[in-house]
Amino acid sequence: MKRPALFAVSVMALVGLSACGSTTSQASPSASAGPIKAAWIYVGPTTDGGWTTAHDKGRKYVEQQLGSKVQTTFKENVPEGPQVSQVIEDLVRDGNKIIFATSFGFQDAMDAAAKAHPNVFFEQATGYKMEPNLAEYFGAAEDADYLTGMALGAASKKGKIGFVAPFPIPEVIREINAVALGAQATHPGATVQVVWTNTWFDPTKEKQAAQSLLSAGVDAIGQGQDSPATGDAAKAVGIPWSGYDSDQTQYAPDIWQTATVYNWGPYYTKRVQAAIDGTWKSGSYYGNLADGFVDIAPFGKSVSADAQAAINAKKQALISGSFYEFAGPLKDQSGAVKVPSGSKLQLTDILTMDWFVQGVIGNPKGA
Amino acid sequence: MRIERRLTTPRWLRVVVPVASLLAALVLAGVMELATGHDPIATTSRLIDRGFFASGALSATLVTATPLLLTGLAAAAAFRMLTWNIGAEGQLVMGAVGASGAGIFLHDQAPVLIIPAMMAAGGLTGAAWGAIPGLLRAYFNTNEIITSLMLNYVAGLVISYLIFDSHSYWRDLSTFTARVFPQGKYLGPAASWPALGAGSLVIPFGFLVGVVSAAGLFVLYRYTRFGYEVRVIGDSRAAGRYAGMRINRKIVAVMALSGALAGLGGASQIGDFRHVLDPRGLQQAGYGYAGIVVAALAQLNPLAVILVAFLLGGLTNAGYSLQGPDFPAGLVGILQGLILFCALAGELLVRYRVRFRRLMVAPA
Amino acid sequence: MTAGAAPAVTLRGIVKQFPGVVANDHIDFEALQGEIHALLGENGAGKSTLSNIMTGLYRPDQGEIYVHGVPVAFHAPRDALAAGIGMVHQHFRLAASFTVAENFALGTHESRGVRLELGGIERRVSELAQRYRMPVNPRARIWQLSVGERQRVEILKALYRGARILILDEPTSLLTPQEADNLFATLRLMSAEGRTVIFISHKLEEVMAVSDRVTILRRGRSLGTVLTAATTPRELARLMVGRDVVFSLKPEGHTVGETVLLELRELYAESDLGTVALHGVNLQLHAGEILGIAGVAGNGQRELAEVITGMRPRVAGSVAVAGIPLRGADPRQAIDLGLAHVPEDRLGTGVAPSLTIADNLILKDYRRPPITTAGLIRYDRVRVRAGDLIERFDIKAVSPQTPTRLLSGGNVQKVLLARELSGSPRVLVAASPTRGLDVAATESVRSLLLQAAARGVGVLLISEDLDEILTLADRIAVLYEGRVMGVVDRAQADVEELGLMMAGSAR
Repeated sequence: MKRPALFAVSVMALVGLSACGSTTSQASPSASAGPIKAAWIYVGPTTDGGWTTAHDKGRKYVEQQLGSKVQTTFKENVPEGPQVSQVIEDLVRDGNKIIFATSFGFQDAMDAAAKAHPNVFFEQATGYKMEPNLAEYFGAAEDADYLTGMALGAASKKGKIGFVAPFPIPEVIREINAVALGAQATHPGATVQVVWTNTWFDPTKEKQAAQSLLSAGVDAIGQGQDSPATGDAAKAVGIPWSGYDSDQTQYAPDIWQTATVYNWGPYYTKRVQAAIDGTWKSGSYYGNLADGFVDIAPFGKSVSADAQAAINAKKQALISGSFYEFAGPLKDQSGAVKVPSGSKLQLTDILTMDWFVQGVIGNPKGA
Repeated sequence: MRIERRLTTPRWLRVVVPVASLLAALVLAGVMELATGHDPIATTSRLIDRGFFASGALSATLVTATPLLLTGLAAAAAFRMLTWNIGAEGQLVMGAVGASGAGIFLHDQAPVLIIPAMMAAGGLTGAAWGAIPGLLRAYFNTNEIITSLMLNYVAGLVISYLIFDSHSYWRDLSTFTARVFPQGKYLGPAASWPALGAGSLVIPFGFLVGVVSAAGLFVLYRYTRFGYEVRVIGDSRAAGRYAGMRINRKIVAVMALSGALAGLGGASQIGDFRHVLDPRGLQQAGYGYAGIVVAALAQLNPLAVILVAFLLGGLTNAGYSLQGPDFPAGLVGILQGLILFCALAGELLVRYRVRFRRLMVAPA
Repeated sequence: MTAGAAPAVTLRGIVKQFPGVVANDHIDFEALQGEIHALLGENGAGKSTLSNIMTGLYRPDQGEIYVHGVPVAFHAPRDALAAGIGMVHQHFRLAASFTVAENFALGTHESRGVRLELGGIERRVSELAQRYRMPVNPRARIWQLSVGERQRVEILKALYRGARILILDEPTSLLTPQEADNLFATLRLMSAEGRTVIFISHKLEEVMAVSDRVTILRRGRSLGTVLTAATTPRELARLMVGRDVVFSLKPEGHTVGETVLLELRELYAESDLGTVALHGVNLQLHAGEILGIAGVAGNGQRELAEVITGMRPRVAGSVAVAGIPLRGADPRQAIDLGLAHVPEDRLGTGVAPSLTIADNLILKDYRRPPITTAGLIRYDRVRVRAGDLIERFDIKAVSPQTPTRLLSGGNVQKVLLARELSGSPRVLVAASPTRGLDVAATESVRSLLLQAAARGVGVLLISEDLDEILTLADRIAVLYEGRVMGVVDRAQADVEELGLMMAGSAR
């Protein structure tokens, strides 16, 4: 479904383009009378309680903000592959002028559709391809992941944290490393044990993976998955849990810590408004903690005041740039120094990260 | 009232029943739509329009129908002998692995070489994957339903491993983007299967492969010695043994044939549509399981599989078209289910009759 | 039977239609308490339909049923059982993967609890079996039993369930004369206890031997009820088939050749249970000879037929067809050597039931020219052959494209024989070839066997019907517990002696 997008920015940065893209020219849909039609394509169900729910919240936010100026629709459970092209064609036929696709696997179809329909604006989350009428958007999650890890570390008594992880790819490895470093900040010597599910969204698999970690004795658990199934497993044994993508407090309020969340709504509103105004421009948006696109969800009631204070302080430090989680000294799993004291990881290093920091239990190559 | 099996089926029923079940489906769907506050006529006409009549809809339907056609044939080929291959899903995935492997290996060759090689590789890997449960059934008497089903999961793990967990031949490691997000090597334009255009209609090459396969399967099962053996064994294994048929070999052969058809479906996914080995998209689609539904609706008749796959493809596309904030995917699923249910119920009426006792004893 | 006894079960004006057939056409029937009432008729006369109506399996389209004078409506066999009507079907209704005792528990109150009290059931089964002299092992699984043993289980099951009115559908077709006599003794015991026995049969001798009264059915109608003592077999036969039947079908003058076509040497084989089923069988079959294998069901007949035809592996010994040894368990080689086979299980083994008659007629030579050339079946030739054989063997069918399962038992058997005999076999192994067939079909099957022998085919006739063997065979071998108890010429055969051999007590 998702993602990698950090590197879209970086690709551009590397070839010397400015990050908040601008070089591309503006397409020109005529501002017609009546509401503009905007559509979202989701890979999962809007009720997944995570990734897709968060995007759909963003869509509803657009409706709320723009009222009668916009008419929105969505297509859920769209499998990656040839089906996407047909869904896009159908949306265009229905008169949609701006179409958001929220899974990485939709990118090729979006790119082809952008070329075929120059009068429609296309927006691809977590991708990297761009056209005059195809823009990219995503956000940097690792800072928020670090803060989530702090909460898990503080909640854990034995310092044994479990993590239900989707795919062994740099984006997720980065996320796990950030969680591990955050946990070690509040609980020195904490470990993070990883189980790969090889899926973004599959509640059954996710729950089984969580249960295997719980039976291995972890006493706090986090996730990079799109559903709250991990929380469901944790709730049964009363173990602290952090989620992902959305504020998932409601699924298990007693054990809820926090989560990395994306605030899609304001971005969507801005882009639809731009389409209405005729000021839409292609580009690559990469949100962060500072601009509020990435954040952590409200703390659960079991998060101590001390921990909340420490996390909030660290959040300010991250925003101000006075703290960076991937600064040396960093050791890998074997204990070898990977980043010496005084230096820090560069953008390309974290984009292609394929190693775990010390304290992570698991194989960064999967399995 | 009771239901009895018909000994013979009147010819007129074969025509009337499908039409009646379609009407029944539309009425039931209409009730459903009224109950959920939708305009039945608008909904139904949109369903039909977007599935088959809107500009480009037919081409889109063929795209969706192509994998269903091949996996439907795979299921029909196996089920005819009461060999329950539930593994078309995994066989399709392995076919995609084989076909993309061939496409990558032969990337600098001419299409005339690459495309047949992809088809052969896809068919062979699918056949090999299907032959495994066949061999287990034939020589160890293992239930092929379970083994073929489990191999679906194994195939899923294999394809994930090839792209996510290893530096395999299929994985693209050359570009920066591929290091950031694991993906397969894209096949060159020479490995793209030709789409046939007829006016505004675009027919995927894979669909034609499917139609030819359906005709081939029909002839194979209807007119050849092999097909005769399959029909005898499918009807009575004891009779097959009695006639001196090598039943175990036949089981392996039919499973391999079934796997080859599913594997061709996987090859078509690569050659026609995806041009890259895409672990998530292939598994998310569930073509293999849908193929079982297609075969069942087509009563295992290969030629009917073409029609059913086409209709189901249109129904799937139209389903996405109906979806929206006030028309959730679940409701679309219910409508599609109703239509399929009516089709099956109609089929039941063709084979069975409902008798009402003493309903019309009044003297004339 | 006591004069003036009360009616146990009464049927009035029963009508039952099936697509295209009126199986029961306004039948009146009454069986009294304590009598043995025979229901006589050819296959297709409507006997089975009538008994299925009495046991709640079918519901009549019209008519009334009374049990002990009270009108009843059965919705299921359970209702009939509750009214005290039990049935032993010709086609067994046993769960094959369950044990005998478990089958007894099925559908009774014993099966209601979480745990089955099988020990008690097994004990009572053994008691019943002993009492009625029908030995079965209550722990054996049904699929392991022979057809004859399964029937014993069915009879015992109905008794076990305390049926006051017991309907037996051709119960003796699988029993030896002694066993049949035992059964008759049992039935008389039951009638003396006041139970009613309705005995369905098309065998005149046993009807005469056991029944008090006889009701004759023909083509769905009742021709009336007569006192057995006041009638003769000849009269009954005339009523039943509507003509005088010639019973004796003696083979014309001896034409047995010298050539040994089938030779079995020290043949050992196992049953499905893994027990020894054939115990050193030595037999020779000559050209033009009909060698009858007599014996009670379950004494190795099935295994003998299967081993000879390659359908079952042998443990030791050899089988040779015209001097050529057979490899083990290879039906194809057996076919290629000219071994024809009419199996015990016709519909299911002998033919593929859903395939057409035409398709079934090529089952044995479909893989060779002229039927198959270059991998393609020549359906034009298949059609020609089907038309030819249907005519030659007088198979009653709407068309060659009719699914074989829609044919009557006799016509299925004709399809089988047409195929097996038209392939110019050297040897024909025929297992119970007339079981369940009506008189006319039985006659034609028998004459086909005789004609084959006359053409020089060696016929191994395995049958539990001793009369059939006496009618047809040149020599008779008796099989008991997998051993050949003796081989006698028919001319010297003595029924008493054969019966004793079948019971294992003489050599």
